[in-house]
Order: sequence, then C-alpha cells, then structure tokens
Amino acid sequence: MAAAALREQLNTLISSMFASGMVDEQFQQLQMLQDDGGTPGFVAEVVTLFCDDADRIISELAALLEQPVVDFDKVDAYVHQLKGSSASVGAQKVKFTCLQFRQLCQDKNRDGCIMALAVVRNEFYDLRNKFQTMLQLEQQIQAQQ
Amino acid sequence: MAGAAVQRRVVRVLLVEDEEIHRVLARALLKSSAVGGGVELDEAGNGAEAVRRVREGGAGAYDLIITDRQMPVMDGHEATRQIRALGVTTPIVGLSSDCRPLDVDAFLEAGADDFTPKPLSKEKLNHILAKFNLA
Repeated sequence: MAAAALREQLNTLISSMFASGMVDEQFQQLQMLQDDGGTPGFVAEVVTLFCDDADRIISELAALLEQPVVDFDKVDAYVHQLKGSSASVGAQKVKFTCLQFRQLCQDKNRDGCIMALAVVRNEFYDLRNKFQTMLQLEQQIQAQQ
Repeated sequence: MAGAAVQRRVVRVLLVEDEEIHRVLARALLKSSAVGGGVELDEAGNGAEAVRRVREGGAGAYDLIITDRQMPVMDGHEATRQIRALGVTTPIVGLSSDCRPLDVDAFLEAGADDFTPKPLSKEKLNHILAKFNLA
C-alpha cells in the first residue's frame, strides 16, 4: 500500500480512538511532543511502557482477587498505579474505570472489584489492539520513507 | 549588544519517580520546556534515594525537585519532610494522580511548595517553572 493511503488509514484510526473516548488530549500531547521535539519513536515508547505495565498489573490484580482473603490495600495500590499509567498515555476509558475500581476497593467490595477488573481488562485489550495496529501502520509508513 | 544579552542558565531538576512511564514523559516535557538554558535532569527512583542525592549534593544542588507520592522504600511525603529537615529550601512540587484536597494538603504539610496532579503536561510544567522563576 502507498504511504499516503497508509497515512490516511492511520489518521482514521487515531480519529476513531479520540471519537470513541478511548484516548484523550493527553495522547494528543504525546503526539505533539514527538512531532515538535523531533523524537521519533516517543509515542511508541510510552505506549509500549503502558501496555507492559497494564498487562502486568491486571495479572497481579487477578491473582490478588482470587485469594481467600483479599488484601484491598494492595489491590488499591495496583489500581492507583494503573490509573497513573493510563492517565500518562491518555487512556481515558481505562483511567475512568480505575476511578470506579478504587471506590470499590475502598468499600472492600470483592464482587464489585472482580467485575471492575473484567471491565478494565476488556477496555485495555480493546485499546491495546488499536495501539498495536497504530504502531504497525507507523512502521509501514516509515519503511516506505 | 552585550547589555541586551539575556542570561540563560541551566536549571537543575531532581525528578523523584519510581515508574518508568512517568519518567519518560517528564524527560520529554523537560527537554521541550521553556527553559532558555536547558534542563539538567537528575533522577531518583524513590524518596530515600532523593534524600541521599540532596544530602550529597548540598543545599544548592538543585533548582527544583518534583516528587511522586507513592513509591517503594520511602514515599514522597517522607522524602519532602527529610529534605526540609536538612535545611534545604529548594522548591519542591508534589505530583500524584490522587488530587483530592487532603492529598494536596498532605504534601504541603510535609513541606512541599506546590502540588500538581498527574499526568504532568507541558502547561503544568511551564506553570511550575514560571512560578519559581525558572523559565
């Protein structure tokens, strides 16, 4: 595919991520920092760090919530970490779910936490798929330049 | 035009943050900030490391300290208290994604000069730099 068509596909993908509320203005700021600062690969670096962090944290949360006695302080600390990571990359939906998740932790609501984890996991997987497509398109565009 | 020359000094910043994603973002923002002479960035992964760096560097080692709250070994509140106990008056800005009034007050009571909610942005960083006459 020609670079112009790939670029159009990339722009459409990113626009849809903004339109659906998956990402917010913080993600736009990352793109601006990359473009204005002349640091190619900056967005990919932050996105990769976020995906690695989120994957690890979601696994930790699943393990904690399977324990016979749940340590809600530990759960809360991990959700806090995920909220911070998602805010940094502009993962708006994940961040909002983390806010609700933390409230459930403070209420020591195990079933609520398990449901919140399922929601956060789905939102993260949706976003990760989009990010992966975005990074693949960027690589294809760069390969043609 | 020597009289019109503007002094462009390097601003020395200590970033206290345990998570790589936040450090990567802060590095990029500081690199692109409005500081004329540029930024010399030093990083600590927890509060205890920050206290050690400040103690070793002396009272004037940094022009600005930006610290996260929740970190392993020593959190940002305790680090702020210990840095102030050393007699260091460097501006300290607390940083956290928890930004309820009680979260802000806890940082200020520990001795921080200001607080900004995560994520750090260009606008927030420029505000901090201007507030402490570093831009």
